[in-house]
Amino acid sequence: MVSRMSMYLEMLRIRFLMMLAYRTNYYSGILIYSINIGAYYFLWQAIYGGQESIQDLSIVQMTTYVAIAWMARAFYFNNIDREIAQEIQEGKVAVEMIRPYNYLGMKTMQGLGEGLFRLLFFSVPGMVIVWLVFPISFSNDLSIWGLFFISLMFSFIVNTQINLITGILTFFLLYNTGLIRAKRVVIDLFSGLLLPISFYPMWAQDIMTFLPFQAISYIPSMIFTEGFTGGEVYSALLLQLMWSVILFVPITLLWMSARRRLIVQGG
Amino acid sequence: MNVIEVHGLKKQFKSYSSRKGLGGAFRDLLTRNYTILNAVDDITLNVKQGEMVAYIGENGAGKSTTIKMLTGILTPTAGEVRVNGMDPHKQREAFVRTIGVVFGQRSQLWWDIAVQESFRLLKKVYRLSDEHYDTHMKEVIDTLEIEPLLDKPVRKLSLGQRMRCELAAALIHNPPLLFLDEPTIGLDVLVKMKIREFLKEINRKYKTTILLTTHDLSDIEALCERVVLLDEGKIIYDGALDKLQQNWVEGKQVHFEFQKPVEKNALIELTADFPVKWRAGDKMRGWQATVDGDDDTVSKLMAKVMSHYSISDVKLNQVSTEEIIRNIYEEGMRHG
Amino acid sequence: MFYVSIFFQYASQYMKTRLQYRSDLVVELFSDFLFQAVNLIFILVVFGHTTLLSGWSQEEIIFIYGFFLVPYAIFSSFFNIWDFNDRYIVKGEMDRVLTRPIHSLFQIIIERMELESMFGVITGIAIMFYAGSQLGLTISWYDPFMFLLMVAGGSLIYAGIFIILASISFWSDSRTDIMPMMYNIGNYGRYPVDIYNQVIRYVLTWILPFAFVGVYPAAFFLGRDEWYMYAFLTPVMGLIFISISVFAWNEGVKRYRGAGN
Repeated sequence: MVSRMSMYLEMLRIRFLMMLAYRTNYYSGILIYSINIGAYYFLWQAIYGGQESIQDLSIVQMTTYVAIAWMARAFYFNNIDREIAQEIQEGKVAVEMIRPYNYLGMKTMQGLGEGLFRLLFFSVPGMVIVWLVFPISFSNDLSIWGLFFISLMFSFIVNTQINLITGILTFFLLYNTGLIRAKRVVIDLFSGLLLPISFYPMWAQDIMTFLPFQAISYIPSMIFTEGFTGGEVYSALLLQLMWSVILFVPITLLWMSARRRLIVQGG
Repeated sequence: MNVIEVHGLKKQFKSYSSRKGLGGAFRDLLTRNYTILNAVDDITLNVKQGEMVAYIGENGAGKSTTIKMLTGILTPTAGEVRVNGMDPHKQREAFVRTIGVVFGQRSQLWWDIAVQESFRLLKKVYRLSDEHYDTHMKEVIDTLEIEPLLDKPVRKLSLGQRMRCELAAALIHNPPLLFLDEPTIGLDVLVKMKIREFLKEINRKYKTTILLTTHDLSDIEALCERVVLLDEGKIIYDGALDKLQQNWVEGKQVHFEFQKPVEKNALIELTADFPVKWRAGDKMRGWQATVDGDDDTVSKLMAKVMSHYSISDVKLNQVSTEEIIRNIYEEGMRHG
Repeated sequence: MFYVSIFFQYASQYMKTRLQYRSDLVVELFSDFLFQAVNLIFILVVFGHTTLLSGWSQEEIIFIYGFFLVPYAIFSSFFNIWDFNDRYIVKGEMDRVLTRPIHSLFQIIIERMELESMFGVITGIAIMFYAGSQLGLTISWYDPFMFLLMVAGGSLIYAGIFIILASISFWSDSRTDIMPMMYNIGNYGRYPVDIYNQVIRYVLTWILPFAFVGVYPAAFFLGRDEWYMYAFLTPVMGLIFISISVFAWNEGVKRYRGAGN
């Protein structure tokens, strides 16, 4: 158990080092995220016009929401769906299966390594820059920060689970670029990255309650901006927990049948 | 007439090295260390029309880099290259119409479409007339026996089948010069032989010049009279294959199989007077002596060893090309 | 002429291959459509909470979006080079490209085309007609020609930016995620640039001139004459950017290091 843990930690560390090695990526990333946040800041200013608040969110809260949503994205976002799809198409997964680790666990660890890297060297300095330039309010309540990080961890879990599902589906679809792209678009829209869920018309909000996507971006961002208060925070966290548990079911089922397929057809 | 004329060719790569550990990785974010590697270091080479030349060397000796400069993929750092009378990189598009290239580990064909469709696309790419395609390609297809494969998509072919199709694709425009990078890698003996026969055939028929790199020395023995040996970016031997064999050893190889385990040092000490080198053999308690001398020396050596140790088996062999090349790498050219 | 016939050869091969994986084709068309819808939804939701965006109405913003979709569709059909570094440099496919007697950039364009993205042209024109009729716009005889010119300019700008980014791979060995992120920045040209501050407006006009793929040319058809100067610059910017990009590409090819070094 201990040695297996240390093996996964090693994968996490390697991925971390790999990220550090790509420095052009690093510099350009900070620049591009700042432009993204900046553009959205001005867009929202124009949308607010003279209004004090929309859907109980003030313009400062909205700016904070946009900034934190993008910075959180740097942490939970990864391309393991595309990597898995590629490895399946190139027939590398069969080789991975005979290695002494859980393939999906390894992919998750790689994603986490990438995410932690971006969180520490990207989101944190990026947030400082954004804070200097735009009017953003940070909570001085430490418990909010604590709850935010718990919620962020769940974001990573849910997003990664969805990526795993999309990736594994390549086994059954052969070609998977369309699905991966569709998934990305859906997540951008329904996770609350572009728009807080509360901005949608009621009927749309109702539908979205039954989807796992708002657990990815909306919940941590709302906690951070203190758009959720009191009991709302805990029920939101509970919702995230619920989704992270539920999504294990399709992953396990898909993976089992994918393995069977692999054994029968040899890839 | 020289098909390939290379003079003082050099290629340098700048490679970045990472510092150790996390702290080092952070420092890499700001400044990076780099070293300059001379992948190809001052090579001069001429190849005449109709020659079949083997270009060999260990991994990283600079074979692929040279081939890539000769085919116009890479620009040289310094030196002159004329291939088919052109500058491969500057006149790339006109130039590549006069050569054929096969990379053993990389497909030239389109993965998802039938082989035939790939050929048809290439026919367009090389702007070939229907007559040329019909007559020339029919011959190639017949000789390589790939007719039954034509309507299968490339991804469904076995490696051997694919390789034959790759060859056909590289020859579609009947180029006077053919580059083959590891053409027989991973193939079984039968396919290898078929491919060699085919190469000989086109060389004879069209006087196609062939430059090939390989790790499989039986390719060279079967095909090439001339060998260019490369080490650390430099040519260390350029000449006939049989001369390489003669130059290196008139001697023989003796395989001893002892009844009890024997130490290498004991063998070296025992045979200190002989021009011999010892190497662990393939079998248990087996040792292999490479003797650099005439038959007389060899028999004396055998007598001496056998009088000291009990032997269960002895074999006497000519030194193989592979052995010669291995020796050259280990010690450099002593006899050149 | 040769290049045109080669293009059609590849296009017909492409269709054959694509039809082999029909289910993925359907999903891809659907995801394209979804992508187009998402942005429309964003606009609709936002205007559920406001009436004007810096003096631009909902229909005007929708019209700009419709226009944007056309050059964007052309761009995404032919310039699928966001994974150029991975696919061609790291995996060494560039070696193969360089041994063929066609310009390397052109080869990559025809190898990577995704013709199904052309559906975006239809969606875009439909959205423009819808928004235009809501706004009561009329069509003059020269409008179709201007439209073609503006679309060509916009497509070339998009292509130019992405080719320049792809060319960076020849110089830097590092993997970059810049290209996927650049798709986000491309979106900001769809909003009136007067909502942004000086810096971002400058960037979107002169450095990453995505404003020329959305708001500037669309302003011409919307009759917003304060932006005409910029609107007419669209084809010029397109030519400038594509020229720079081809130059950068050709220089880059000289520095190509090959795979596996």
